[in-house]
Amino acid sequence: MDAQKVDMFIMSNGKFFEDHQMNMIRERLIVLDDSKWSMLSTVQLKDPTTTLIVSILAGSIGVDRFMIGDTGIGVGKLLTCGGLGIWTIIDLFLIQKATKEKNMQKILQYLH
Amino acid sequence: MSLNRNKLYSLLLIACLVGYIWLYFSITKNSTLDRATEVCLIKQITNMPCPSCGSTRSIISLFSGDFIGALNLNPIGYLVAFIMLVAPFWIIIDTVMRSNSLFNLYQKTETYLKKPKIAIPLILLVIINWIWNITKGM
Repeated sequence: MDAQKVDMFIMSNGKFFEDHQMNMIRERLIVLDDSKWSMLSTVQLKDPTTTLIVSILAGSIGVDRFMIGDTGIGVGKLLTCGGLGIWTIIDLFLIQKATKEKNMQKILQYLH
Repeated sequence: MSLNRNKLYSLLLIACLVGYIWLYFSITKNSTLDRATEVCLIKQITNMPCPSCGSTRSIISLFSGDFIGALNLNPIGYLVAFIMLVAPFWIIIDTVMRSNSLFNLYQKTETYLKKPKIAIPLILLVIINWIWNITKGM
């Protein structure tokens, strides 16, 4: 794919992925076929900041985990008052990384 | 899935262990509930119960044989008690037999729960339970 397009993608979607994954994504994108560009540019990614806000507001009932697709963990948090309140606090720190991992899994489906 | 088999099993085991410790602590301490020992963040902040508030009391009355009392306190208690009873044995059997039946079940349930037909009624049930909790004044 065109290097300019790849850089554009990286610049506009950089915040959705972890830093150490960016190089891999870039390399994969450059060898990717040009026909996949239109599909790639319409991928819906979850914003880590939004999930952090949801985690602060409704983390005790597991809404943040439901939102990124971890339904099982979300049910666990819902049933236990947010893991006796402890898990809610831990998840405030974990949820951004978890969101970025989920985004990575999603984009990997398009990158081969 | 970022959650692999061993991660899920250790997470479930830790959760069950903490649950049993919490249950032991709740049974042995004075029956008059102290505000400082309540752990629910929503209840501490907004003075309003969350959907699963009262499940500890529900499980305690379940263990003492009061099934209808447990249902009246919080129906979620039944679900939590079931998971806490079944999960450790299932995990032990799975590790001994080197199978991953529980993990497969977990993944199947996860995809099943994501279907809107299933998810929306369940969300409504939780909200109804929440409203019931608030009117009961847990």
